[in-house]
Amino acid sequence: MSVAAERQPDVVFDIQHVTLRFGGVVSLNDVSAQMRRGEILAIIGPNGAGKTSLFNALTGVYTPQEGRITLAGRPGARPVGVIGKKTHVINHLGVARTFQNIRLFPALTALENVKVGIETRQKAGPLAAMLGMPWQRREERQSTQQAYELLATVGLDDHANDLAGSLAYGEQRRLEIARALGTTPGVLLLDEPAAGTNPVEKRELAELIKRINVERDISVLLIEHDMKLVMSIADRIVVLNFGEKIAEGTPHEIQRNPVVVAAYLGTSADQVELDIDSQPDLHLIDTAGTVPIAEEALPPEERSDD
Amino acid sequence: MTTVETPAVVQEVREPWLSETARVLLKRLAACLFGGVVLAIMLNSYEGSQDDFGYVFHQAVLQPRIFVFLAIGVVIFALITFWSHVRQYARRPGVLPMFVGVIVVIVALAIMNWYDPRADVQGSSKFSKIRKLVDQTPSGVLKQTTTLFFDGWLSWGLLGLGLVVCSAAIISRWRPLGYLAALCGVAGAVFAWMADSDILRVGGGIDHSLGVYTAVCGFLILACAGVIAATSRAEVADWRGFWQRIMGYRPGLPFVVVGVVLGLFAYGRDCWFAPLQRNLSFAESADAYSGTDITSLASNYLDWLGWTLFGGVAALTLAATYLRNRLLGWIALVASAVGVLLTFLTLKSMTEVAAKVVPAYGTKWNNLGAGAYLACITYGLFAVAAVYVVARNGRRQSATDANALPVTKAVVQARGSANAKALILLALVLAIFYPPMLSPFWQNVLVSEVSVYLLLAVGLNVVVGWAGLLDLGYIAFYAVGAYTTAYLTGSLPLKPPSWLHMTPLLTIPFAIVACLIAGVLLGTPTLRLRGDYLAIVTLGFGEIIYIIAINNPGKFTNGPQGVLVPHASLHIGSFKITWGQDNLPYWYLLLVLLIIVIVLFYRLENARLGRAWAAIREDEVAAQAAGVNTVRAKILAFAIGASTSGFAGAFFATQVGFFDPTLFTIFASILIVAYVVFGGMGSLPGAMLGAAVLTWLPEFLKSQVPTDDRQMWVGVLVLAMMIFRPAGLLPARRRKAELSGMDAPSSSEVAAVPRAGAA
Repeated sequence: MSVAAERQPDVVFDIQHVTLRFGGVVSLNDVSAQMRRGEILAIIGPNGAGKTSLFNALTGVYTPQEGRITLAGRPGARPVGVIGKKTHVINHLGVARTFQNIRLFPALTALENVKVGIETRQKAGPLAAMLGMPWQRREERQSTQQAYELLATVGLDDHANDLAGSLAYGEQRRLEIARALGTTPGVLLLDEPAAGTNPVEKRELAELIKRINVERDISVLLIEHDMKLVMSIADRIVVLNFGEKIAEGTPHEIQRNPVVVAAYLGTSADQVELDIDSQPDLHLIDTAGTVPIAEEALPPEERSDD
Repeated sequence: MTTVETPAVVQEVREPWLSETARVLLKRLAACLFGGVVLAIMLNSYEGSQDDFGYVFHQAVLQPRIFVFLAIGVVIFALITFWSHVRQYARRPGVLPMFVGVIVVIVALAIMNWYDPRADVQGSSKFSKIRKLVDQTPSGVLKQTTTLFFDGWLSWGLLGLGLVVCSAAIISRWRPLGYLAALCGVAGAVFAWMADSDILRVGGGIDHSLGVYTAVCGFLILACAGVIAATSRAEVADWRGFWQRIMGYRPGLPFVVVGVVLGLFAYGRDCWFAPLQRNLSFAESADAYSGTDITSLASNYLDWLGWTLFGGVAALTLAATYLRNRLLGWIALVASAVGVLLTFLTLKSMTEVAAKVVPAYGTKWNNLGAGAYLACITYGLFAVAAVYVVARNGRRQSATDANALPVTKAVVQARGSANAKALILLALVLAIFYPPMLSPFWQNVLVSEVSVYLLLAVGLNVVVGWAGLLDLGYIAFYAVGAYTTAYLTGSLPLKPPSWLHMTPLLTIPFAIVACLIAGVLLGTPTLRLRGDYLAIVTLGFGEIIYIIAINNPGKFTNGPQGVLVPHASLHIGSFKITWGQDNLPYWYLLLVLLIIVIVLFYRLENARLGRAWAAIREDEVAAQAAGVNTVRAKILAFAIGASTSGFAGAFFATQVGFFDPTLFTIFASILIVAYVVFGGMGSLPGAMLGAAVLTWLPEFLKSQVPTDDRQMWVGVLVLAMMIFRPAGLLPARRRKAELSGMDAPSSSEVAAVPRAGAA
């Protein structure tokens, strides 16, 4: 561990010039970004900007054609390349995620859903399970115990034995987070965790994410459309549009960034810059259905941010 | 929003309302009438053959009796249609036992075995055969009531009267009617009993009269329904509460009562020794054996010990139950075990002596009548009662534990598991004591058909039910197991080296390992495929193995002539068991192995790997994202399923002693898939029940319908199942949730383009 680790002691994900294409469609175009240890980094952008594609590239579901992604999932881990690795291997390196359209195991109970995650870190094999070996039983008890704790963390301990498919929408979202936490990640990737939840649930969710970030020392990478939520919890924000990174910075910077505002509102950057103060707050902008225009020119100062 | 929608819906529906309802009703009526015709064909007393289907059809359908079955259809139609009106009565106490009793009696009268003049002849002798005997017997030899019961209206009349009176009692709530119904039931039971005794006295034959026991039980249940209808004033029957009240009053009491009744039958009336078509009861057996060189234990048992033992254990169990004393419970448990042991030792001695005195008797345990086994069942029931007494405190403890959990459902689960335990115990008692009472034909079916396919279904359930991988070449592993055993026992043209030559039982682990390897070899390259593609590849694998078996490359498989394999034997020092032509020893060997497999698989299902399989089946991408190594888990499922199949193959080879490649066709693979689906995918008891029912049915239909039509009836059953219980006979909890529409939103985004851009 050394040279590389010393040079970049605080970087979880290091994304270098990543390009991902599906046939002729360019989903990610030369995207570079870094995620630092312990931060909550939000990725925002209009629909189709490539946010989820980036997630899938980070978790090994998609394999980018160009570029380099290195990962040091847990604190003190040696940075390793992500591209070409299988999803479950990347998960074992400390990357857990949730999905934009909830993907639980609906016919398992909430408890079992979390246990599936926990047990991918366990050792006992099928033979030990069949013979009921003591260490297997101990692991089983541990996983149940931990699963109950995690369910309590996300506030689902009353629903432990309910089928995941029968839970309410917001509960399913929290259960996904619990399952992800079960794999003891160093970094948690949340894909639109607040989609379809009501304002009260959103507030609770924001608290939950902060708590996970602080108490468990887990870096959080967040895709979210709800600007209020993003602005309230994110340490930094990366903005994607049409597969390219158009901005990066603190919430305050992003809110006032003319390129970003232009991307969301569909006007050119020059116009926006003229009367930025008269623009509405970003978190009031309804992004649903917005069709942004292409934004080619990136101001140089935005690039040199990191 | 709703105020806008509702009128629109009403408008849409109102127009075709009448015709729609009429259409539904007509369809329902047609289905019910058709069901009646099917029932008429199934329950006909004429045995079919290859080419007389027209005759059977005439005798079954074009006779006045068809109106009875059509009436049944109409009644069912009326019940379904007017259910909302009937329901208030249907929930009253007494309705359930009434119907159970009637159905049990109908089954006993129509299809069960009443009379078995020659036990070696295939099949069961149905009620109708007795009718022929009654016809042939000169009048006066048989009692009047017996003739009336078997050849007249007495049996059906009592049943019908009981049903009508009991229904009237339930609806009107007039006490005398209830007692009258009870009287009908008791009378039916008594007449059935007497008639059966009479027919046995005249006709002889070994007492395998399953029908009479069932009929008596049915009539008695009907009588109970009458008593319940007369005494209970509740509007809604509360069975669970009733059962809990009984068990709370004296735990295990019902088992003791049933045990005492069965024991009285066993020692008082039933046949214990049945050489050459003579049925000797317990007391008569003692006379028959006096003076022979029977062991002193056995002679004492027949003389006084048997009765005393029964009385003693019954009294002990009753005392334990009544006083709720755990110590007494333990003693009763031990005493029951001793009772079973002594009974078996006595029976062993009896068969040995009989074989010595008259070699024609043979050493077969078949010379023993049902009485001896009934006695064992009696002790088993006492043991169950004792277990309830012993486990009472423990169970109360666990209930409070469950309450301590934050989840109220745990209590329900605990109660469910207590029921499940009782069911398992019951199944075990039946599995141990019921097969000896079967005729040799059914014993053979049980061992070489039912249990082997049961094992195969259990193995395939791992692959299809738990991991969700459709394997259409499953029978190939069965072939690999069978050929491995054949090779290692030196039965193939290609002989193994002498140091590898071994006895059949020893080859089983090798067969398992061979199939494990075959499973991994096949699984590693193919399990990256999904769904249909995997099914096609496994289909191809199955065909490859089948064609190799037929084509006999390198003189390895002996081709279509098949292979003869020696029977199993076990030598440990001076201890020596040989399994020969007899089916029963194989059944017990298989039972032990089967129980081991089931316990191992049950543990696996509820462990880490079982949950990982369920996760993969539900959502493979999510499982990967949660860190599950899906390829490894799928290969494991494949290998474990394959090794079970190999185990079944090895066992089948040694048990039947012969196999040929026709066993390994694609048809067999598909049948096993059908067993699993029929029983309930992913459910261990379901897969077993499915295999048992669907292997039993064709054999049963042998004596019911023309041979060529058997698979059609099986098809009808499977079809009906898929319509009415799509999740299977005993659906798995996890699958049930899936099929009741709680599926995840379909995986659109990520799964659509898996690993795009990979070079």
